[in-house]
Amino acid sequence: MISEEQQDLAALYVLGSLDANETAEFEATMRKDSGLRALVNDLRESSAALALSAPDRQPRPALKQRILRDIAMEKSRDPGSSARWTSGLPWAIAAVLMIFAGFLAYDRVQLRRELEQAKNADPLASAKFVALAPANGAPTGAKAMVVWEPDRQTGVIRISGLPAAGSGKDYQLWAVDEDHKDPVSAGIVHVDANGVASVRFKPVVEARRVKAFALSLEREGGVPKAEGPILLVGSSS
Amino acid sequence: MARIAHGDQFAFSLLYDRLSGPLYSLALKMLGDASEAEDALQEVCLQIWRRASGYDPKQSSLFSWAVLLTRSKVIDRLRARGRRLRVVAASIENEPNPVEISDASTAETAANILDRNEKAKRVRSILGSLPPDQREAIEMAFFSELTHHDIAKQLNQPLGTVKARIRRGLLRLREGMRRSL
Repeated sequence: MISEEQQDLAALYVLGSLDANETAEFEATMRKDSGLRALVNDLRESSAALALSAPDRQPRPALKQRILRDIAMEKSRDPGSSARWTSGLPWAIAAVLMIFAGFLAYDRVQLRRELEQAKNADPLASAKFVALAPANGAPTGAKAMVVWEPDRQTGVIRISGLPAAGSGKDYQLWAVDEDHKDPVSAGIVHVDANGVASVRFKPVVEARRVKAFALSLEREGGVPKAEGPILLVGSSS
Repeated sequence: MARIAHGDQFAFSLLYDRLSGPLYSLALKMLGDASEAEDALQEVCLQIWRRASGYDPKQSSLFSWAVLLTRSKVIDRLRARGRRLRVVAASIENEPNPVEISDASTAETAANILDRNEKAKRVRSILGSLPPDQREAIEMAFFSELTHHDIAKQLNQPLGTVKARIRRGLLRLREGMRRSL
């Protein structure tokens, strides 16, 4: 008989909602209880179905090609797979050349992967930090910090000390990028009643060489090209 | 999966066609960023390719296994994102009460919502029939990296109440799925 408390834990476990210690404790209990293991497997199947309740979206077709190329690279360095191709000298030569090409390609992939692993190990490795200071009569207590990830083309801005934009107005974030004549819009930012906002943003077009961020006061809903006063600004260099 | 474990790329391609939509949709809902969701899906696919021989159909269905891998990858990313935000928060003096991260209005927005298949319709229908508090609790638990302690805090409810809502909601979902089969 599985107690209600154990059912609670089983449900939280399959949803990944237990903390690390609770997870370890529950897994130890589960190892000794086949009934509990069966309940967990059962609930895991039901909970996985929740994924289907997400709005139905498809990745870009290019992603499949990218993934198939990656697994082909991995396969090319698997010695077992090359053995199947060798039937006669021409095939053997072709296989050797393919393996050689595979090694060259693998080198590149490996370097890329190592770089990716380094970035994953330290998610801040490629991030830029930009402090924004008041300008044009903005409240002296107003400030913001941007963490910008050029590789992912996303960032987070945290603002404090800025009053509400007022009726018919919105704050708009801009990325000043060397590759674009005008600042690139990175979206509308709403501050709360305490004058604080934490917002994830993404410029409307790719901005690879951002040299500054700025926050301006614009017409409600934002504008394609900055026209209002800049209240906070900071350089990324 | 046995064919994939033996290095059959065509079999993998078929599997990708079958799973990429639901897994990408899940990653996108959790991350709210199309490019990050694609990166997560790519990592999951490579993981499936590498671990195909270790997949045990007695433990879980292929779909459940893939969902588990996807949630795990996405949660890693959400936690890394949380670490980044904490660095930002720590850099601002006189920190007021923490606030939730929202999306700037130009970030990824919801597009057309279409039902993928009959199973998706059933899941949504069962979810819709749950009491709102149970539905809210299991969706928060499934589509975020929050622990039940975090969820209780966010909902401003006692921990025991949140645990019971999640258990009841998930058990009702299981019963509903069984009845509809």
